[in-house]
Amino acid sequence: MTAVISTFEVCRYFGDDEETMVKAVDRVSIEIERGEFTAIVGPSGSGKTTLLHLLGGLDNPTSGSVELSGTNIADMSGATLSDFRRDHIGFIFQSYNLIPVFSAEENIEYIMLLQGVDASERKRRVADMLQQVGLEGLGNRRPNKLSGGQQQRVAIARAMVSRPQIILADEPTANLDSKNGIALLDLMKELNQQSKMTFVFSTHDEKIMSRASRLIHMHDGEIELDELK
Amino acid sequence: MLLLKLAFRNIFRQRRRSLLTALSLAGGYILCVFSFSLSEGSYNSAISFFILDHTGHIQIHQDDYLLRPKIHKTIDDPQGLSELLDANDEIISHTLRVFAPAIAYSDTDNAPARVIGVALERERSTSTLAVKISAGVYIDDKLGAEGYYSAMIGAGIANSLKIGLGDELILISQGADGSIANDIYIVRAIVGDRSSADRATVFLPLIAAQEFLSMVDSVHEISILLQDDGAARSVATSLQEQLPELTVAPWQVVESTFYRSMQTDKQGNVFFMGFIVFIVFVGVLNTVLMSVLERTREFGVLKAIGSRPTKIALMITCETSLLASFSLIAGLLVAVPLIAWFSSAGFALAEPMDIGGIVMSHITGDMSLYVFGAPLLLIIFFAIIISIPAGIRAARISPTEAMRSH
Repeated sequence: MTAVISTFEVCRYFGDDEETMVKAVDRVSIEIERGEFTAIVGPSGSGKTTLLHLLGGLDNPTSGSVELSGTNIADMSGATLSDFRRDHIGFIFQSYNLIPVFSAEENIEYIMLLQGVDASERKRRVADMLQQVGLEGLGNRRPNKLSGGQQQRVAIARAMVSRPQIILADEPTANLDSKNGIALLDLMKELNQQSKMTFVFSTHDEKIMSRASRLIHMHDGEIELDELK
Repeated sequence: MLLLKLAFRNIFRQRRRSLLTALSLAGGYILCVFSFSLSEGSYNSAISFFILDHTGHIQIHQDDYLLRPKIHKTIDDPQGLSELLDANDEIISHTLRVFAPAIAYSDTDNAPARVIGVALERERSTSTLAVKISAGVYIDDKLGAEGYYSAMIGAGIANSLKIGLGDELILISQGADGSIANDIYIVRAIVGDRSSADRATVFLPLIAAQEFLSMVDSVHEISILLQDDGAARSVATSLQEQLPELTVAPWQVVESTFYRSMQTDKQGNVFFMGFIVFIVFVGVLNTVLMSVLERTREFGVLKAIGSRPTKIALMITCETSLLASFSLIAGLLVAVPLIAWFSSAGFALAEPMDIGGIVMSHITGDMSLYVFGAPLLLIIFFAIIISIPAGIRAARISPTEAMRSH
């Protein structure tokens, strides 16, 4: 198997002063294979979100390398990095972060527009995704007319519709009740198995962790334990 | 298309704020259009006034007669030239003139006068001389029963010499051949009043003036009236190519002092309007920056999912331009009927206004593409300029920091 995600001694420090410097991620080296369903777990402030941001190219490491599909994204910036994220990474955020003036369909469609996918193909893929996440008939609703669980399903559809190799989800169930949270995780797991996309998500919810096939435990910015289930 | 949809919907997110911004933009546009219409209308009236009064759209002279008039700088064979001009479809009419300074005498008084010999019938269709007659009749070029030619004199001369219709007028000047020119004319018409520009002018039939000044079959000036006001320069250039031995000048050259002051005034007007629009756009900048600040998280998400920074900046420009466009449409809906009324009815001025030496007491606006288009381009230009700092700010938002904001 080939590593889709690979970091080597990656660090992300905040602050210049040695005494007050926060080592959010400290010398983390991991390899994640294609199709894995991995959870990064740990208490608040352990560095889960920062690591996810580094893996997604949303933040630049202080040192070390982050390779996605063999490309080091640590040195990328501007339009190149935007294009790389658009084509290779799907994001799911804790607060859904849908565009409020777009309908569910348009939120899903937007990323394909950036990719230059033609209109008929966009429509077909949007309909497919809505069906896969169980939101048929709700495509024309704006986010404020959808429940939290429905909004997060739209966010999953938006992350997957561009067919990225990697889906990064930052505490995707944190704003949902446990029933909806588990249902969403089951959906993600099912999509992971169907599409063979690599899922990496952060969580500190014990019930959610049980769905993951690999758990990377973080504490104070360092990997404490990396267990395959 | 989705970008345009996004921009469109974002405008209607904060309806009250967008409405206020649109109102200030529309108001600024209407103010600019009105000011441009007023300025263009005033200048067009002034231009029409002197073009029809005496200048014409184009003038033809010998050498530098326009700058240094001398009696011997004449256009010979004016009849041949007239045939050429009559055959030109772009020319409505033209007239032939001779000029000379003279001393005018009556039985009791004398006064300096400017003698202008005019081709009477051509002058009638080229200038407003016939309309300016305040007493008497437009003369002909036949000798009267007394054996003298008729003359039309300015009201100032009539007053100075204490003469009126039917009285004799004696003119003394120097002929083109150096001889002393003197002759008697019968006053048949008074031109204008004592404040008119023609108050010290004596108008004679062309043939009478040519005989008086010993310059038979030659003139000093040909004044041309065109079909199209805007074609003066191009027709002048074309005529100049056909008449290389003469000097052909459009009204912009003939009235160069007026034209330069008009251009300077127009530039000042554009600068002033630009300043007003800039003030309006300071408010718009505040609105746009506020809108960017409120949507920091959203821009972060857009960047995170793959929108390029330039695309985000473009979205801000698109939003501002769209808002400006809506405002301009609203402004146009008000400005078009307003300017239509202003250009047809106009209004009387409480105090007469001097525009380049021409006193106007009633003013009408101009209704043209320039009047509506120039402020429109000015506002679109500022909308784009003003959206750049806001766009840069949005484009530079870091996704991770944006995601932490609320």
